[in-house]
Amino acid sequence: MAFDIDRYTAQSKPVAWGDLDLNSFDDNPLPPESLRTLRYMCDVEYHTVCYLRDLLTTPSHNEPEVGAFMTMWNREEFWHGEALAAVLAKHDIIVDFDELAATRIKLGWKDRLDPIKQSLLGGLVGNDFVAVHMSWGAANEWSANSAYLRMAKLEKHPVLAELLKRIAAQETKHVAFYASQARDRLAQSKKAQVITRFALSRFWAPVGSGISTDEEVTHVMGHLFRGTEGRKLVRDVDSHIAKLPGMEGLTIVETALDKRGIAADGPSTPVAVAA
Amino acid sequence: MTPPPARPEGSALSSDVDGSGVFDVREFARTARGSHRGDPAVVALDGAALPADAITLIRVLRDLERTTLDRMRNLLVTATHKDARVTAFLTTWAFEKFWIADALDAALETVGAEARSDTGSTRPRRRFAERAERRGPVARAIAANFQGPQIVAAHVTTGLVDEWIAQAAYRRLAALAAPLGPLSRLVLEIKDRHIHFLSEEAHRRLADSDRARRVTQKLVRQSAWPLGAVTQPASDRAFFERTVFGDETGRREAAAITASLAELPGMTAVAPTVAARLVA
Repeated sequence: MAFDIDRYTAQSKPVAWGDLDLNSFDDNPLPPESLRTLRYMCDVEYHTVCYLRDLLTTPSHNEPEVGAFMTMWNREEFWHGEALAAVLAKHDIIVDFDELAATRIKLGWKDRLDPIKQSLLGGLVGNDFVAVHMSWGAANEWSANSAYLRMAKLEKHPVLAELLKRIAAQETKHVAFYASQARDRLAQSKKAQVITRFALSRFWAPVGSGISTDEEVTHVMGHLFRGTEGRKLVRDVDSHIAKLPGMEGLTIVETALDKRGIAADGPSTPVAVAA
Repeated sequence: MTPPPARPEGSALSSDVDGSGVFDVREFARTARGSHRGDPAVVALDGAALPADAITLIRVLRDLERTTLDRMRNLLVTATHKDARVTAFLTTWAFEKFWIADALDAALETVGAEARSDTGSTRPRRRFAERAERRGPVARAIAANFQGPQIVAAHVTTGLVDEWIAQAAYRRLAALAAPLGPLSRLVLEIKDRHIHFLSEEAHRRLADSDRARRVTQKLVRQSAWPLGAVTQPASDRAFFERTVFGDETGRREAAAITASLAELPGMTAVAPTVAARLVA
């Protein structure tokens, strides 16, 4: 079904948490491993603007529908960061703009070269490069959606669960946009399919890999997707990606977990984190 | 010509929540203005007969507002994207500009005007002096790597000048047709907060660093005004310059922009270049 951009833009609003009793974390605080995962999620949301930058180097944003989506999506993700920061603040973990800037500065030369690389690739590949970005975005949003719902289920904290479900509901709309864009663009071009398949299978990594240490990525992937139940969710994400034209058989998320040694069987109980 | 609306005395949307004078980006984000489609400023235009110049100026302003993502790209491929406070501002700024453009579209629909004009060439103006503005993201990103973090000062300063130019244009819009007064005031009120942030950032960053002043002087000299105009049809740019800055009132607006820019640290020498490009 085509994505209704007018409806999406008209309904786009910051995720709400003012009605949720965040003081409940005073009596019922989250454990350290969950706070570590939430902090990672918060950073990823705030850094959406860096991903937006890469998208903007392609000609896609000149299409009114894509430009409208990017404007709203970037803002919604910013608010996800704000909402998660509010939960972290209740645990005396303060995420401020200076600290986020420091994280971006640490990214160094790779970060400085990224827009150049993206632009050059876009120039070389042409309009088909947009399909890569849209498929990549779809994979990221499917993963994010799954991660939020998984965290809500694992943690069983009623306030956190409600907040994460609200965030996931917005991510579902983002998935719908990226997937419909990816599907249409891949269906129109065999070249786009070949390039996208190559890019996803060779370079895709879990969302946040570019801004966090390997240790943090492994913690989050293990915390959320360890064990039989987690692996089933990951396979669900892969099955969505594999349904995109030309992406049959891809298992990029499961492969990423295997590379990090995340157990595919057994219980999902998080391993205690050393202090 | 009807008198232009006065600038709002103090916005109900003030972002100075603690009275310290420091712009609160989070408060700005929380109180961002979305769709204006049901706003009385737009609804009241039903049945209004607007002169052709007013219709054309609405179209030109809408197209300029729609260059926001191009401008975002130009900023984000530089060190500006590392400043989380600035990118948080840009996120909400882009959202508000999206809806300003939509309000201008809604105004055209309400008065029964075509969204686009069929007349005239769409070819952009090409001037040697504006060649830096035509660079793509690769050239900008490479250049920015040499300019370093002080490029942020240049971006907020040129953004501020652009907002001053937009203010003049929206005031002129109201002067062209009285029914457009409420819409003009609505947009000016939204832009007041953009100006608050950009002005504060420009003053602070330019006062702090000699290198920031040098990088900014260069960018001011290179810029095509209003920002984003470099990709717009030459005929639209000529219309904008003639309509907004072409008469005595317009020249006073341009002189005020020169004076305001000259008040920023290190900008006295380059301040006249903005008006020189805008006033034929």
